[in-house]
Amino acid sequence: MPIKAQLFITCLAEQFYPQVLVQMVDLLERLGVNVEFPPEQTCCGQPMFNSGFQSEARGIATQWLRAFSRSEAAIVSPSGSCVDMVRHHYPAMFPEGTPEHELARELAGRTFEFSEFLVHSLKVTDVGAYFPHKVTYHASCHLLRGLGLREEAKQLLSAVHDLELVPLADEETCCGFGGMFSVIYPEVSRAMMEAKVRNIMASGAGAVVACDAGCLMNIAGGLRKVGSQVRALHLIEVLAAQGGAS
Amino acid sequence: MAKRAGYSVIENVRRALGRTAGAAVEARPAVLAPRQAGSIEAEIDSLIKEINALSGSAQRVSEDDLNQVLKGLLQTQEVKKATLWQTAGLADLGLEGRLREMGVEIMSPHADKYVLAECDLGVTEVDFALPETGTLGLLSSQDKPRAVSLLPRVHLAILRPAALRADLHDVFAEAKDQGYLILITGPSRTADIELTVTLGVHGPQALYVWVYSG
Amino acid sequence: MNQEAHISETPTYIGFGDYSTHVPGNIPTAVQQATDRFLSTRAARVAEKANWEELRRAAHEIRLHTLLHLDSYLEQVERQVTKAGGHVHWAREAAEARTIVIDIAKRHNVKTAVKVKSMATEEIGLNHALETAGIQAYETDLGEFIIQLAGSGPSHIIVPAVHMKKEEVATLFREKLGVEAPADPLRLAAIARATLRERFLTAEMGVSGANFLVAETGTLVIVSNEGNGRMCTTLPNLHVAVVGIDKVVPDWDSLTVLLNLLARSATGQKLSAYTSFITGPRREEGENGPQEFHLVLLDNGRSRVLQDPVGRETLKCIRCGCCLNVCPVYKSVGGYAYGWFISGPIGAIFSPQILGVEAARELPFASSLCGACADVCPVKIPIPHILLHLRRRVVEGDQFESPAAPAVLRTGARLGRLALATPWLYRLGTRLLPLLQVPLKRDGWLPALPPPLNRWTKVRPLPAFAGRFRQWWGKRQGIRDRV
Repeated sequence: MPIKAQLFITCLAEQFYPQVLVQMVDLLERLGVNVEFPPEQTCCGQPMFNSGFQSEARGIATQWLRAFSRSEAAIVSPSGSCVDMVRHHYPAMFPEGTPEHELARELAGRTFEFSEFLVHSLKVTDVGAYFPHKVTYHASCHLLRGLGLREEAKQLLSAVHDLELVPLADEETCCGFGGMFSVIYPEVSRAMMEAKVRNIMASGAGAVVACDAGCLMNIAGGLRKVGSQVRALHLIEVLAAQGGAS
Repeated sequence: MAKRAGYSVIENVRRALGRTAGAAVEARPAVLAPRQAGSIEAEIDSLIKEINALSGSAQRVSEDDLNQVLKGLLQTQEVKKATLWQTAGLADLGLEGRLREMGVEIMSPHADKYVLAECDLGVTEVDFALPETGTLGLLSSQDKPRAVSLLPRVHLAILRPAALRADLHDVFAEAKDQGYLILITGPSRTADIELTVTLGVHGPQALYVWVYSG
Repeated sequence: MNQEAHISETPTYIGFGDYSTHVPGNIPTAVQQATDRFLSTRAARVAEKANWEELRRAAHEIRLHTLLHLDSYLEQVERQVTKAGGHVHWAREAAEARTIVIDIAKRHNVKTAVKVKSMATEEIGLNHALETAGIQAYETDLGEFIIQLAGSGPSHIIVPAVHMKKEEVATLFREKLGVEAPADPLRLAAIARATLRERFLTAEMGVSGANFLVAETGTLVIVSNEGNGRMCTTLPNLHVAVVGIDKVVPDWDSLTVLLNLLARSATGQKLSAYTSFITGPRREEGENGPQEFHLVLLDNGRSRVLQDPVGRETLKCIRCGCCLNVCPVYKSVGGYAYGWFISGPIGAIFSPQILGVEAARELPFASSLCGACADVCPVKIPIPHILLHLRRRVVEGDQFESPAAPAVLRTGARLGRLALATPWLYRLGTRLLPLLQVPLKRDGWLPALPPPLNRWTKVRPLPAFAGRFRQWWGKRQGIRDRV
């Protein structure tokens, strides 16, 4: 019985990293997963929620529940923060005892972040990827502290053939994205982003890998701003890399 | 007016919590099991190590070398005036007599605070000692004035092994009703200026702890 | 507004956005050095304690239990302190607390007071009030002494003058104390020692706060390193302590948990150099210590915070400063940007609850919600959870306060929700954006966008909009994507 998974593509990845989503589909199918794409999905509501508009976010969450409840399959997403939103905030957004609350709890129980899904659901760490470069890893905050996923991405990276994983100073320090934070206090966000970029450039790596589109947008923009050649890649892009191509 | 304000604050708290006057208080959640003591010698070793790591000067002292060590301290710290606790333990050691013989002027611990502030050395005993952190616990009374371990430049604490306690829990059980307790862990220090550690800001600049077992 | 000089007065509005863009250049570096030092020493202390997580859990439970039964414990405090010969006063808010202290001082003809570092006295703006009443109040913690001379506010809870270089401190001492002052921390500390010694010996009143207040025996616990805490509470004949009602702990045993956590979390010490346990005035004449002891219990909004099951966890705080040390936002801006005596993550949740969202609406947003603070807090305050709770209060309002955000923002959010919860609208936007961006696109990026999106692009470029996944999927599934 092949495993089925619904793709929760997330609004940021949809707008800015379509190639990551395409590669995610390819990779999951290569690993034997039957991939579904619920077309009614939009956004998980996190930016709205984090801005304090919890009642508006509830409206968006209701739409999310509608989109993903049509299938019994697990839900897989390339974003730690969006999965954290569903897992830790969705149930509490609906009063206990209501059908929405029950639905939220049920769906939250089968929503997984991508690296989590590979390592813990598919029990896979070596996907046969080939990426002969020096790579460093930035631990996105919600992936790390919200979901408690400290090792999974690094395990997957370590199994990539010819990839050299080098340490990143202050790996677990926030990059300064923080969603709406980056536009509410841009100068503070700038200071944090610049510190992260400095550390990345000092690591000697040719690429920095993260598991969140938000972090990647911020870091990639920061690297480009200073004219760095270091690439900011989603974990999926590295795992999808095959012999010769990258 | 003060009474009214008092009832008012407590009433506000009560209302905020949805409690009524005289409502029961559940048992306080558990604390952790206290540390168990090792052998006396191991405890003394630990205490000495911790105090020295904090730039204090701790060592074992016996009757045989007391005078010599005392002379050493007086020389190193250029002690002219000293004051002491008036406890039986210090009297047994004849500490005041020894100091006088070595040319130190002894001021009463009940002298004016300006006088005590001029003292170079304050000598006390130790009521409690915690080996895990190198901490001394001193009580306070007519015979054990607080200023003796505070005003002089140098604090010498004579510690008998009977003062050793395994854990804060044990110290607190004995000290809680005594009115005053000071826990001293190393000499006075600060890192307020550019994080440079400086010893002896307001309290004593040097702390000597002699573990005396006769 | 010169936020430095006014940091101790109750603010009417905290402009974090404004303050954070006007941070003096030396502050982030100095703050970073201090926090790095404290974190590395803390790491060693945590590693030593195999039961660290157990301690945190016990501390959380004890502090929460105390808050939930605070009325009974406060009654016990009053009974015990009175029994020990002390006087208990109640201050509903800051002005009342100031008046109480000044009245006590006047009754005793106090000319000078020496103060131990106390955040509660900064909260109520006591120093300024004492000066106005003709009483000279001297800060005696070296860091507080320095910033008092400089007339500025603290940049860090534990090391308030860490942003000042030794050369600056030397100049300050030369100018304000009229003494020869070399730029050497040891010599500068010696100058402070000599200057303050005189003040300790002559002051009529010692003023302190307390780290903990033990209900069991009515005992004040004061944690310090320099010895000034002992000086202020031992030498003058009169001791006045101003203590927030949230500082209460049930009994001495509770302290075995809290004292094991406090110094380790704050500075990476096992215990601070001095921990004083003071129960009322002295009992015997010759033992030293004050003849008269007054405890001023300060509410100032804390009882109101107790109503809120989410927000009240803020009051478990034991003021270790560890959340500051790990916060990347705090480390970028230092203490001044938080506009009051309390800064960093704890400041971002304390100030809005005490001052209200009208005054402190910018603070709950001064965080990227990274969660580093919650990981280290010794009493497990769920800071990010409370920040989100307060953000809702700011923009939507809740049962405790009306919203402070303008109505136009609410309308904007409603429209945003409409767009995001309506699939065809969202899909339409996704298809339009790549077309609309064409004039602004440069090499796969959008380096400059019009307001409000320029708030992003002025810091770094935005990747170009490329929402083509659904088309790809549709083609692949052989289904036409209908808009």
